[in-house]
Amino acid sequence: MLPPDPKTETAKDVFGLYLAVLIMGGIVFVGVEGFILYAAVRYRRKPDDEQLPPQIHGNTTVEIIWTAIPTVIVLVLFVISTITLNAVEARSAKPGVTVEATGFQWQWRFRYLDDDGNPGNDAVVNGTAANPPVMALPIGEPIRVILPSLDVIHSFFVPQFLIKRDVVPVGENGKPNELEFTISEEGTYAGQCAEFCGLQHANMTFAIQAMTRAKYDQWLKVAKSGATPAPSAPANATVIKLSATGTKFSTDRIEAPAGQPFVIHFDITDGQNHNVAIMSGDKQLFAGKIFQGPGAQDYQVPALPAGEYQFLCQVHPVMTGTIVATP
Amino acid sequence: MATTTLNPRAETYQRSWVLDWLTTVDHKKIGILYIVNSFLFFFAAGILALVIRSELAVPGLQFLDEATYNQAFTMHGTIMIFLFIVPVLSGFANYVVPLMLGAPDMAFPRINALSFWLLPLGGILIFSGYLFGGAAAEGWTGYNPLTQAKYSPGPGTDLWLIGLTLVGTASILGSINFIATIFKMRAPGMTLFRMPIFVWTVLVTAVLILLATPVFTAGLIALFIDRNYGGSFFDPSVGGNPILWQHIFWFFGHPEVYIVILPAMGVVSEILPVFSRKPLFGYRAFVFATIGIGLLSFSVWAHHMFTTGFVFLPFFSFMTALIAVPTGVKFFNWLATLWRGKLSLTTPMLFALGFLSMFLIGGLSGVMLSSPAVDFHLQDTYFVVAHLHYVFFGGSVFGVFAATYYWFPKMTGRRLNEGLGKVHFWMHFVGFNLAFFPMHQLGISGMPRRIADYSPDAGWTILNLMSTAGAFLIALSIFPFLINVIATFINGERVGDDPWEGNTLEWATSSPPPPYNFDRLPPIHSERPLFFLTHGHGHTADRPDDVVEKPEDDVERRGGAV
Repeated sequence: MLPPDPKTETAKDVFGLYLAVLIMGGIVFVGVEGFILYAAVRYRRKPDDEQLPPQIHGNTTVEIIWTAIPTVIVLVLFVISTITLNAVEARSAKPGVTVEATGFQWQWRFRYLDDDGNPGNDAVVNGTAANPPVMALPIGEPIRVILPSLDVIHSFFVPQFLIKRDVVPVGENGKPNELEFTISEEGTYAGQCAEFCGLQHANMTFAIQAMTRAKYDQWLKVAKSGATPAPSAPANATVIKLSATGTKFSTDRIEAPAGQPFVIHFDITDGQNHNVAIMSGDKQLFAGKIFQGPGAQDYQVPALPAGEYQFLCQVHPVMTGTIVATP
Repeated sequence: MATTTLNPRAETYQRSWVLDWLTTVDHKKIGILYIVNSFLFFFAAGILALVIRSELAVPGLQFLDEATYNQAFTMHGTIMIFLFIVPVLSGFANYVVPLMLGAPDMAFPRINALSFWLLPLGGILIFSGYLFGGAAAEGWTGYNPLTQAKYSPGPGTDLWLIGLTLVGTASILGSINFIATIFKMRAPGMTLFRMPIFVWTVLVTAVLILLATPVFTAGLIALFIDRNYGGSFFDPSVGGNPILWQHIFWFFGHPEVYIVILPAMGVVSEILPVFSRKPLFGYRAFVFATIGIGLLSFSVWAHHMFTTGFVFLPFFSFMTALIAVPTGVKFFNWLATLWRGKLSLTTPMLFALGFLSMFLIGGLSGVMLSSPAVDFHLQDTYFVVAHLHYVFFGGSVFGVFAATYYWFPKMTGRRLNEGLGKVHFWMHFVGFNLAFFPMHQLGISGMPRRIADYSPDAGWTILNLMSTAGAFLIALSIFPFLINVIATFINGERVGDDPWEGNTLEWATSSPPPPYNFDRLPPIHSERPLFFLTHGHGHTADRPDDVVEKPEDDVERRGGAV
């Protein structure tokens, strides 16, 4: 009946509060269940007992006392839980790292906001259905997570941090939810969407990898270098146009030249995150970079032998189609 | 001639029994229709529960895909709440309340029939989504914007909205009927503070329904407009507010919890005194606690929304914890009723004691969830699933079975077999705890609700397997119950009008009662007119320290030696 080992500073407070509440509840539980069992044994009516027990209608003194008891318990509970709540909700003036964790059907995208004034340089971590995203974070400093949603309500939940916060779509003028915590230990902590968000809700998992500041800085450097845009397509290659709206491709059949590289001009018409990957059975032949629309990218696809392949979006495995390579 | 037509025993013209049941406006027949109809939906939603538990027994998707799974839990929740627990309790109230008040029928018999017949219609509409490309699959809470047409296209969700609107309308009509009946149809001598506790709980429930359900029904209609006519109530991308839906839903949804628990508390408060052979301890305190719960239930709805980030946490946290006080008072009253009583552990009493011990767990986990910091961890996990099943199933459903065993002899003249009843109780009790207790731990260790699958590495497999075994044990326990009902109905023990030595007026008439309910009424001097009739003034002459039940006691009901 105990939560997982708490891994953030405030999670330790919540763990303590949980324990206090559990003990208070446990005492009431044992008392009441014990009395019911005692009464069921002690006050059983004998088969031939026709005499009535004393007909007691009530007693004002006792009733006042037992109204007071739960009132006191409730007040104590309210005070201790408010103290912990204030600790959990406290916000630092300047967090060590700010990550924008965007939820969408059915994946997460983590963007590391830095102060260089150029959002194009931000490190971005995308997840796929097969490889859920991992959020690298330094330990020992306050982390702020901003939680916008692109579609429906999701919820950012890390059990070992003993916290979750809903990821609510707030429209143009709204302010998305924020969460703050300080991780106390290195390790990998599983996370998952906790608010039912449609078909693949169960697959919206992610992980948090907590590391020292030095390791985190190294990680960030590598992550940023991967964020450079892909080079533009060579002029002579065949260009195939493909677009996606919502969670649908514009077509479920593409024809491509066999035996030579080609370009897929992939256009996302709305704010969704997609990519295009080409599969032969379970084998991945090509995977384009995941990006958020609206906008387009040119994927340079290596030469495919003649035959039929499947193409799909790795963010939304329900989006599939057939690509036919003909000589 | 005139004397013949005025004689209530005069034969009416003969109709086929089918037509008779289809067109009846007799509250007793309508009550039985409610109960039978509710149990049919209970079995359907129970099968869906088995489907859900089978899929979750081990990791991996074995039987269902995600779409079917999401439909299954949405239908399970919707049907259990709206077409089983609420209407089955309305059914018992329909049958029993006029009898308890010494009234010949409900105040508006035809409206009573209408509010019943809307239910199967609504239920069929909700289920019919399965015939049109899939039932609603957004959870019984229908959160927005997931329920908007662009994320959940297809007629299943529209049928769900229409069906629920009908069911909501039925509830509202029914509640007005109960309020009118209780205020206007009481027999001479039946003052408000002589009404059986069950009637009090039905009265408070009816007021809650009347205040809460129209809000929900309006929300359903707004959502229907959003989906079909381009409204923008709840879709943030066109200026709507998805959190507004949650406020509307839970402004209804939390009183709804008390709508289904108060009548069950009423049932238990009738059964405990009868089988302890004592009056309910602190009758007035109990009435005020019931009213208190009703009032407070309108100030706690946003505790379902602590993690949305759009709630004033201290207020709703405080009010939620506060509602434990009247509930705690009731527990003390129930326990004091048992104290120094003479307990007969019949099947209705076993279910009533089961209610006490299981609802207690649901109540305590509810107090834990009232603390926002704790709720931040537990919200939307299986802990909440465990909590709500300890309230709805451990509370209300135990109450429903207690009521079934208790009033079956009144409805049929025959008592359900005690042996089969006890087999049913123990299988049910063990199965229930096996199915739902492990869910607490699953939630505490982080398993979110409404997921079709989980990782084999998460460490949730054994507890899920236990839970599934428990669910099947509950399902098996229904067989002794059904066999018992059918066998007793055909050839059960005839037990006369008052087999339990009841306290309240329904036991003063024949079993089953005649269409007009009473030939004559006993004098009503307290909330236990039948007890008074049987034991009279001198019942405790040999125990001078006891309180003697006298008409004067109505003025001052206190003062008993404890």
